[in-house]
Amino acid sequence: MSTQDGKIDGETLQPERKVSRRKFLRVTGGAAGAALLVACGAAPTTSSGATGGQATTSAAGASGGATAAAAGAAAGGSSGDVQFWDMVWGPNAYIDTAKKVVDQFNQANPKIKASYQSNPWSSWPQVFTTAVGSGTAPDVSTGGGYQAIQFYPQGAILEIDDVVATFKPDDFLPGQVEAMKFNGHYVALPWGIDIRIPFYRKDMFDKAGVKPPTTWDELRPALKKLTSGNQYGIAFPGNDNAAWQGMWGFVINNGGGLFSKEGKLDVMNDRTVEALTFISNLVKDGVVHPGSAGFSGDDMMKAFSSATTAMVMFVPGTEERVTPETKQNVQLLAPMTGPHGDKGTLLFANNLMLYKQTKNPDATKAFLKWWSANSLPIWTEGKAGNLPARTSIAKDPYFQNNVYLKRILDEWVPIGKLTGANASGTFPVLADIDMGGAMKTMASDILQGQDVKAALQKLEAAIKGYKTFKG
Amino acid sequence: MSTRAIPSPSRELRPPKRSPRFDSFPFILLLPSALLITLINIYPFATGFYYSLQDGTLLQSGAFVGLANFVQLFSMPDFLHALWFSMLFAVFSVFGSWVLGLLLALLLNQEIPARGFFRVALLLPWIIPSIVSIVSWRWMISDQSGLVNVMLQAFGLKPIYFLSTGRWATFSVIVVKIWRSFPFMLLSLLAALQTINRESYEAAGIDGSGSWQAFRYITLPHLLPISFVLWILMTIWSVNDFETPWLLTQGGPSNATENLSVLAYRYTFLLNNVGIGAAISFFTMLLLMVFAIVLLRRQRETT
Repeated sequence: MSTQDGKIDGETLQPERKVSRRKFLRVTGGAAGAALLVACGAAPTTSSGATGGQATTSAAGASGGATAAAAGAAAGGSSGDVQFWDMVWGPNAYIDTAKKVVDQFNQANPKIKASYQSNPWSSWPQVFTTAVGSGTAPDVSTGGGYQAIQFYPQGAILEIDDVVATFKPDDFLPGQVEAMKFNGHYVALPWGIDIRIPFYRKDMFDKAGVKPPTTWDELRPALKKLTSGNQYGIAFPGNDNAAWQGMWGFVINNGGGLFSKEGKLDVMNDRTVEALTFISNLVKDGVVHPGSAGFSGDDMMKAFSSATTAMVMFVPGTEERVTPETKQNVQLLAPMTGPHGDKGTLLFANNLMLYKQTKNPDATKAFLKWWSANSLPIWTEGKAGNLPARTSIAKDPYFQNNVYLKRILDEWVPIGKLTGANASGTFPVLADIDMGGAMKTMASDILQGQDVKAALQKLEAAIKGYKTFKG
Repeated sequence: MSTRAIPSPSRELRPPKRSPRFDSFPFILLLPSALLITLINIYPFATGFYYSLQDGTLLQSGAFVGLANFVQLFSMPDFLHALWFSMLFAVFSVFGSWVLGLLLALLLNQEIPARGFFRVALLLPWIIPSIVSIVSWRWMISDQSGLVNVMLQAFGLKPIYFLSTGRWATFSVIVVKIWRSFPFMLLSLLAALQTINRESYEAAGIDGSGSWQAFRYITLPHLLPISFVLWILMTIWSVNDFETPWLLTQGGPSNATENLSVLAYRYTFLLNNVGIGAAISFFTMLLLMVFAIVLLRRQRETT
């Protein structure tokens, strides 16, 4: 089997022996739920967690839903319970707004009862893996760029080819829907776009007499001019995935990537080495904040806010993470031209996926379609940090009147590429690359001044050691 | 002559033979505990070992691979590094927290002003939830505007990025661990100090011994038995410690502070490689069992 060829064995897709572990997780989940019930002394509600309460809800949904589903099918509509798990995509207002949108769905679809549960990012691998393994997975959830492909080979994700067929392809940003395709099937729907883009402090640039760079040749001397004393040109958060993601923006800007167009692992290609050598040279120049290797995202933003760093490669909404006074000075850089004339950056298509455990697939698909088309308030009111994958939502004045978001949508999103670049589609090893820590180690190595080729060789060896890497 | 056998008198006098009766009552009383131990200890232990012999994920059992996962561990650079770091972390944490705990215990064993207050105050690092204390440490040392660097800069020194190089991060993780652990050492050693008979010191004083000699020949020998137990317990807790390296550095930079617990978590949950994750955990358990056995033997000898 070769993930790079976009093929996978049937055996892998149809697990042979999953009973014992699922049973174990189910028993453990049930026991934990019972313990929680005893400890709390209260009956669980839908939002009480991923154990007993949800198992009960699912069971109720299963029995009631089966009858209702039959009635719904006879009536030509979908019905039943739909459990929706959502990640925290924005500030506190996000969760309340998302709940409100779910309520709107329930009002518009009285035969379907959708429930909402918010999940923090800090524990998502455990939460979803345990839920899927113990049979208490939601019907539908949002997730990171590679969550669907992480669970799909293990038989947990429901293909949504029929749902995708009902959409107009041009209502999604170019290439985003196809990026969800694996082995000829759509495993998720893209609903949000996350992207890495350079922000700079105009006040610091002006003070140093530096114009916003348009090429890499201009960037290096600009960062040198911006560095003096305890003030540095650029910072990366090495203790966070955002470090490698920021660096990979440069790699894609240079036409590099982890894979060849044919889907073969190609870590050591010239363009990738060249881009990372450029960053390594910035480290050697002393223009990269020396705390970078140990910085979290918050540490980096603190350095940016306190004017000890003039530039960061970060996420949409970076300007909202500083004080209102500082925000006036935060500007978005236009895409730079690499040494070979390329433009580009790293992009993620956030997944909206269905789980095979759903008892009400029709109702869940109805919810998926509705959410994809009607989730505008999670940006306008909930202030979600990503951007919409649907062009019909992106055309809303909320995005078009925001100078940062409009520029990101117009200038950056069209040149964005996924982690699997330069291969197309999605494939299982990308989930391990995204989460496994090897990319973070590579970024830390470079930020600590280690040799680029040695760091990349280590990365290549780590990827080849991943269970999901085939061939 | 009668053919009837005459019973031997001695036989008749012997009490009738009774078959030993099985008393099940003690076993019934033991049953709940045995079930509980089986559920809490033996089942996860056996399941973990079973997983370590398979090439599975959290959702699929995978093929049986025998001891291949254990063999593979020793060819994995990240495992060898985690093993090395776990040892380093344990040795320095145990030594550092014991020395600090001992010094403070000796001090608090004296008649000093506000001794009661200090006895309580010094327990705070042990009482504060780890998430609060470790994140606070992170704020203090992670960047140039943290408290420690502000103080360094006030003295005209350059800021130190404690979490940004492998060596400084290793040092920082150990320091935080020592800070979190010394109160336990302090409490235990202080209790032991208070059991030493004052007359021993008075006798030593009459014989002309100084304070160092009193410490060397009276205090230290008295503290050694409890210290031995503390060293072993602290070694087990250090090797098993997940939250200190994870919350402070997430095992970075460049895996410099990744111990066996963090590595097992990474393989199990982030890489979904349960076989290797379980093998790391099982190996760690075997390693710690050596210490536990030594501790149990020691306790048996003492008893």
